[in-house]
Amino acid sequence: MLQSKAYVKKTRHGRVLKVVREHYLRDDIACGTITCTACDNSKACLSASPAPIIVFDTNVVLRQIDLLENSAISNVVVLSVVLEEVKNKDLSVYNRLRTICSNPARNFFVFSNENHRDTYIKGLAGESPNDRNDRAIRVASKWYHEHLGPASKVVLVTNDAENKRKALEEGIDAQTVEDFVRKLGQAELLDLLVGAGTEDAQTTADADDNRPSKRKVIYPEHKLMSEITSGLHKGIYHQGKLRVNRYNGFEATVSTESLGQEILIHGRIDMNRGFDGDVVAVELLPQEQWQENSLEKIVEDVDEDESEEPVGLVPGSAEQLPELIETGPAARPRGRVIGIIKRNWRQYCGSLEPVENTSSAGGKVNALFVSADRRLPKIRIQTRQLENLSNKRIIVSVDSWERTMRYPSGHYVSTIGDIGDRATESEVILFENDINNKPFSQQVLDCLPPLPWSLPAEELQNPNRRDLRQVRVFSVDPPGCKDIDDALHCTLRPDGNYEVGVHIADVTNFVLPDTALDHEACQRGTSVYLVERRIDMLPKPLTEDICSLRADVERLSFSVIWEMTPEAEIISAQFTKSIIKSCAAMSYAEAQARMDDSRLSDPLTVDLRNMNRLAKIMRQRRIDRGALTLASPEVKFEIDSETHDPLDVGMYQIREANQMIEEFMLAANVSVAEKIVEHFSQFSMLRRHPVPSPKMLEPLLLTAAAVGVDLDISTSKALADSLDRAVGGDPYFNKLIRILATRCMTQALYFSSGDCTPPEFHHYGLASPIYTHFTSPIRRYADVIVHRLLAAALGLSKVPGALREKTMLTSVADNLNLRHRNAQMASRASVELHTLIFFKNRPTDTEARIVRIKSNGLIVFVPKFGIEGPVYLTGKKDKKDESDWIVNEQSQTTESRDGKYRFKVLDKLVVHIEVVEPQPNRPKLQLTLVDQANECMSIK
Amino acid sequence: MVVGLGLSSAEKSYIAGGIAVDLRGDGRGRHHFRDFSIDTSIIPQANGSARLRLGGTDVIASVKAELCAPPPGRPHHGKLEINVECSPTAAPEFEGRGGEELSMDLSRALQRSFLGGASGAGAAIDLASLVVLEGKLCWMLYFDGLVLSSDGNLLDALSIAMKAALSNCGLPKVEITSGTNPEDDADFELNEEEFTPVDTSRFPVIVTLTKVGKHYIVDATAEEESQMTAAVSVAVNKKGSICGLTKRGGTGLDPSVLLDMISVAKRVSQTLITSIDAEISAAESRHDDQ
Amino acid sequence: MDFISPEGLRLDGRRPFELRQLHAEIGVLDNADGSATFEMGNTKVIAVVYGPREVQNRSQQQLDHALVRCEYSMATFSTGDRRRRGKGDRRGTELSLVIRQTMEAAILTNLLPRSQIDIFVQVLQADGGTRACCINAAALALADAGIPMRDLVASCSAGYLNSTPLLDLNYLEDSGGGPDLTVALFSKLDKVTLLQMDAKVPLDVFEKVMNLASEGAKAVTQFLREILMENTKKLAFAKEPLKV
Repeated sequence: MLQSKAYVKKTRHGRVLKVVREHYLRDDIACGTITCTACDNSKACLSASPAPIIVFDTNVVLRQIDLLENSAISNVVVLSVVLEEVKNKDLSVYNRLRTICSNPARNFFVFSNENHRDTYIKGLAGESPNDRNDRAIRVASKWYHEHLGPASKVVLVTNDAENKRKALEEGIDAQTVEDFVRKLGQAELLDLLVGAGTEDAQTTADADDNRPSKRKVIYPEHKLMSEITSGLHKGIYHQGKLRVNRYNGFEATVSTESLGQEILIHGRIDMNRGFDGDVVAVELLPQEQWQENSLEKIVEDVDEDESEEPVGLVPGSAEQLPELIETGPAARPRGRVIGIIKRNWRQYCGSLEPVENTSSAGGKVNALFVSADRRLPKIRIQTRQLENLSNKRIIVSVDSWERTMRYPSGHYVSTIGDIGDRATESEVILFENDINNKPFSQQVLDCLPPLPWSLPAEELQNPNRRDLRQVRVFSVDPPGCKDIDDALHCTLRPDGNYEVGVHIADVTNFVLPDTALDHEACQRGTSVYLVERRIDMLPKPLTEDICSLRADVERLSFSVIWEMTPEAEIISAQFTKSIIKSCAAMSYAEAQARMDDSRLSDPLTVDLRNMNRLAKIMRQRRIDRGALTLASPEVKFEIDSETHDPLDVGMYQIREANQMIEEFMLAANVSVAEKIVEHFSQFSMLRRHPVPSPKMLEPLLLTAAAVGVDLDISTSKALADSLDRAVGGDPYFNKLIRILATRCMTQALYFSSGDCTPPEFHHYGLASPIYTHFTSPIRRYADVIVHRLLAAALGLSKVPGALREKTMLTSVADNLNLRHRNAQMASRASVELHTLIFFKNRPTDTEARIVRIKSNGLIVFVPKFGIEGPVYLTGKKDKKDESDWIVNEQSQTTESRDGKYRFKVLDKLVVHIEVVEPQPNRPKLQLTLVDQANECMSIK
Repeated sequence: MVVGLGLSSAEKSYIAGGIAVDLRGDGRGRHHFRDFSIDTSIIPQANGSARLRLGGTDVIASVKAELCAPPPGRPHHGKLEINVECSPTAAPEFEGRGGEELSMDLSRALQRSFLGGASGAGAAIDLASLVVLEGKLCWMLYFDGLVLSSDGNLLDALSIAMKAALSNCGLPKVEITSGTNPEDDADFELNEEEFTPVDTSRFPVIVTLTKVGKHYIVDATAEEESQMTAAVSVAVNKKGSICGLTKRGGTGLDPSVLLDMISVAKRVSQTLITSIDAEISAAESRHDDQ
Repeated sequence: MDFISPEGLRLDGRRPFELRQLHAEIGVLDNADGSATFEMGNTKVIAVVYGPREVQNRSQQQLDHALVRCEYSMATFSTGDRRRRGKGDRRGTELSLVIRQTMEAAILTNLLPRSQIDIFVQVLQADGGTRACCINAAALALADAGIPMRDLVASCSAGYLNSTPLLDLNYLEDSGGGPDLTVALFSKLDKVTLLQMDAKVPLDVFEKVMNLASEGAKAVTQFLREILMENTKKLAFAKEPLKV
C-alpha cells in the first residue's frame, strides 16, 4: 500500500519548497512477541504475559530517559512515531534510546508502526501533528492488545492528560509515569523521575536557603527565540558556546564568530543559567563596564573557596592551562547571556552537600548536589534515600532552571559508590571523561579468534608474510608492560650498512573492518591508563596475548625495515607483514643496564648498542632540524600490590633506552606516513601539531623576560636553540623553562589528509613535515586505521569502504582527538587522586619553584611530585591595599611590606604540602609557605 | 500551425463545406467545444497541477509558489509568471529548438490575458491577495504549461488547464517571525502541512474563434486550424468581462465581425466556465476518494 | 544520515531490495505512433514514438538500417526546485544519447532500412531513477508503435548507502552521496545493454550493487510484459465486435 506525504519546507536560502515523499505501508512488520504465531519472531524479545507490554509516549521518553535506562524497565515497545518525534526534539535522548533498543538484555522492541498497514493513520482535517501522533500511539497500543489477544496486557505510559483520557476511553490501560513506577514497587526508581512536584521543591528550597527574600526572581528572563534570531541577524546579539572557567565557576567566555573576539561574562547573574558548553546568545554590556579589573575578586554571596585555584598536576599543554584573563589597556568586551540556544546538559557526577535536618526519614527531601567540576553550579534534587546517598558519589541529570531558583533542579540517576573510596573515585574520573569501561559485549568477544591462539600454518604459506622468526628481534618497554605492541631488530649487513626493523603487532589481522569489535575499538579510540588500572581499547586476549609481541612466542607483525648507513641515513624502507619470534622482552632499565655493562658483548647487547648509536645520530639530526626537546614532569607512583594505595611517588626517569625506542618509533611513523599519503592523498589518517600562535607563547615570554632570558619564537628551530641557551643559576632552571614552554603548545591532532593542505600536515614539535601513528595499534585506534591504509597501499587488502568516505574519516579523526583528550584528562585526574591519597597521612615539606606571581599569591610547581598550585600570601578577605605584600605582575616580582622577603618568578622556595578538608568529603591539597628565612629564599 | 498536415484539396473543401453548413467533421456545430476531461494533482511536487485532454489535444499546467520580494514600486502586489513549453512528444517538429516559436507565441498570448496591465490591474488573480508581508514578502506564482499532444486550440486548452491547476493550488501557511518593523529584514516560519486555496473566481478562460471561409468556429482541430484565415482569442472571466484579446492570422477582419466574434466568445465562455468548474470539482472529489 | 533504520526499513518504508510502486499505461497519446507513460514511485515519464517514417533529413538516411533518434527533455515543473532548462544542456544531451543507444540496440533496425524512428522522452516528475524510468517508458512506447525488437529492454537502478545495497533509489537516497548504478537488460537474451555508475566503489561492493540492479531490472521486465499482455488483450477485445 502506498501513501503519499506532501509538505513544504524552507530551504537554507529561505526559499519555499514543496516536498513529496512516498510512504509505503507493509504487512510484514513483526510485533516482536516471542509467543506470537502470526508474525516472524526471529527478532522477537517481548513476552505477552504475565508482564505487561509497555508503550511509552513521546513526552515520557523525552523527560524520563534516565528511568528508561534503568534496567528495571523492560518488555517495552518503542514505536517508530515516538522515535521520530524524539529524534526531532532531542538527538541525544534519541541516541540513548537507540542504545537501549540495541541492547538485547533490555527487551526493548522497535515497532515500525508508521509503516504498518494497520497502525498507520492519516492526519485528520484540523488535527495538529501532535494530536495525530498521540492518536497513532493509541492506535498502535490498541493494535497490540488486539493482536495478542485478550490475555495480554498492554500499558500505555503517558503524562499527557488528554492522551491518557482518550486512551482510557478507547479501552487502553493508560497510566502516568508516576503511577507506573509506583506499581513497580521499587522506591529508588521514583528518585529517577523528572519534575515530580517542582512547586514544593521551590518553596522548601527557599526555606532551607534561610533566605525567604530570595523567593523573588533571581535571573533575568531569557528572550524569545524569535527575538534572539532577529537580534543575531541584526548583530545586536552574539551567538557562541559558553565556556566556563575550569578554575572559577563564576567566570566564563563566549567565542563568537560575529564579533571575532571572546566576550567575557562575569558572575552567575550575567551567565543567566547558562551551563558550560551551552550555545548561548549574548548581549554586550556598555563599554564603560568593560574596564572593571578582572584581577579584582568577584564578590558574590557564594561559597568563597569556589573561586580558589586548586592544587593539581602541572598542565601538559595549552589546553590544560587555566584560562588566563588578560589584563591591560585593551579590556575585553563584557556581556551577559540573554538566551540559551542549545543546552549542553548531560549527566553529572558528584555528591550531596550535607544537610543538617534530615528529619523526614524515608520521605522526600531536597538536597543540593555538588560536582567536583567547578564549572557547574550546584544542582537541587529531591530524594527519598538521603541517608543512603549522603556519603556517596552519585550521578544526577539536570531538568530545568527556573528564574526564581538560585540553582537548577535535577534528579538522581544512580549511585557510583562511597566518597573517598579509591575505586569509586576512579569510576568518577572515568564517568567525567566519558570513558567506557563496561565489559566488552558478547558480540565483540565473538569476533576474537579461539583461544589458545597459536600461529596458524597457513600464515607460513602466505606469500605476503615474511618469515622473520630467525631474526634477532627484541622489545623494550616499561616494566610490567603486558601489551607489547612494538619490537625491533638491528643487524649489521655484509656491506657495512645496518638493517633496522620495527615490528608492530599485526592487530588488523584480528580486528577486521566493520565488525562489532572494530566498531567498539573505534568508539573507545584509545586505551586509558589510570594509575592503578588500564581500560583497554581491545579485549584482553588480544592486548595481552594474541597481539602482544611477547618473548619466545611466534607472533604476527607488520614491519618497517630500513637499510641504514652507519651514519643513520636511510637508504631504503620496506614495509611487509611478517612473522616474528621475539628473543627478549626487556624493560628500559634492563636494556640500559645491558648497554652500560661493558663486560657484556653478546649479540643482543651489541644490537642494542648499535641501535643506540644510530638513534643518537637520528635524534641529533632531528634536533638540528628544529625539533623541540620539551619536558613534562611525569609522575610515577609505586603502588601497593595489595591495597592499590600509593607507597611512593617520584618523577619518571628517562633513560637513553627510552629515547632510543622513541627515535625508531618516530622514524617508523614518519616512513609510514609518507607511504600512505603517496597512495591515498585524500584519506590518510595523519597527525599534525600546529604552530603555536604568538599569543599562546606570551606567558612563556613574560616569564622568560622577567628572569632575563631572551627566547626567540620565530621558528621551532629558533625556539629550540634559544631554549638550549637558557641556562640559569642551577641545573634545574633549563628543565623548568622547557616545562613552561611545553604547556604553551597546543596538542597534536589526528586529521584526514583530505581536510588539510600539505603545508598544514606539519608537526611542529617533531619538526617533521608529515607524521602519523603506526606503532601502537593495540592501544590506539588511529594506528589501526593506519595499518589498514598501509596494507592497502601495499596491495595486501582493500581500503575499507568507510574510510573512503571523506566525512567518515573526518568524524573518526574528531572522535579520536576527543577520546585522546579525555584519556589524558582521566590519567591526570587519576594521578591527582593518588597524589591526594599519598599525602593524606604524609604532610611534607619540599622544594618548589615559582612559576607565576599573582595578586594574592604565588603559583608554585613542586618538581618532585609534579604538582602545581597556589600559595596564598594574603588572606582571602584582605583588601588589596591592606595586604602585606606588594605585587608587580609585569616584572613578576613580589615583596613583603616589611621588606623581609622578595620573590621573583622561577625562584626556589620551600612549601608545606598537606591534605585539608575545609568541607566534609572534599579533601584537597594545600600548599603553604614555610616561613623560614633560610637559603632557599632570595633574601633582599 | 506548424504541423504540416498535407491535406488534399478534397479534404480542404470538406472541412470548409462542413463549417458552412454548421456540421463539422466530428459532428459538432460551429460554436461547440469538444468534450474534455480534467485531472488534477498529477504533479504532486507542484503546488497545483492539472492535465487537460481536449480531443487529441493534451496539455499539463502546473503552479509553483515561491516567496520573494514584491515588485519594485508595488509593495501591495504579488507576482505571476507564465511560461509554455511545447514538448516534442506533441510533434516531431518541436524537437530541439523547433517548438520555441510556438511556445513563445502561446506564452505571450497567455501573459496578455492573465497578467493585466503594467500596474498589475486586471490580473487574473487579485495580486494583493498574494502579499504575505507588505513591501517585504509576497508569493510569486509560476504557471508552467506543457503541450504533450496537439490537435488544435492549444491556447484555450492551456488556459483551461491553468485555471484547473490554480484551483488545485494550495499555498503554505506562513508565519512571519521578523520583519514587521520597517527596518527589519523579513523572516518567516512555515506551517508544514497546512495549505490555503487561492481565489480563482477572477481567473478567465480563453475562447478562440477561428475564421474558416466566411464563418468562425470555436475549438478548432488541427485540421481546421490549417484552413483558417484569421483567429481571435478572447479571455473572458466568470462575470463576462473581457480580460485580454489576441488576433492572429494574416487576413484583416471587419470591425463589426470582430465585435460579433467577441460576443460569441463571451456567450460560449459562460457555458464553458460552468462545465470547467464541474469538471474540476469532479476531478478533485475523485482525488479525495483515492 | 541514516537511510535505513535499524529495523531494516528505508525512509519511505521499503526494504533495501524492494522496487517502488510501478505504474504504466500504453497508448496515452492518440496523435503519435506509439506512446506510454511509466512511473516508478514519484518519477513519472512519458515516452512517444514517431515512426518508422520517411527520413526527414535525407543526408542522414541509412541504406541498410533505420535511423533512430532520441530527445530527452525535462518539464520545468518536474523537479522540486523549479528550474527552466534550456534544451541541450549536457545532462540532457547525454541522457538522449544513452536512451538512443539502448533502444537502438533493441530495435531490429535492419528490418527497417531508409526509415526513421523518433523517440521523445519527457520527464513530468523527477524523483530519482529517471534514467531507468525513461528507458522503460521508451521500451513500452516502441512496443506500442509496433516496432520490431530483439528483446524487451528493462532498466533499474541501485545504490549503496549505509553499507547496504539499495534498489531503485528515490531522489532523497540518490542525493545521499553514494554510488548510483543504472543497468538495462535484455531479459531473454540475459545480456546487459546499459551500465552506468558514478562514484568510486570497491569491486565487491560493485558486484553486489550490480547484481541487485539486475534483479530489479528483471522484475521490471516481468512488469512490462504483464502490461503489454494486458494491453494486447484489450486490443483484441476491442476488435472482437468486428469479427461478429
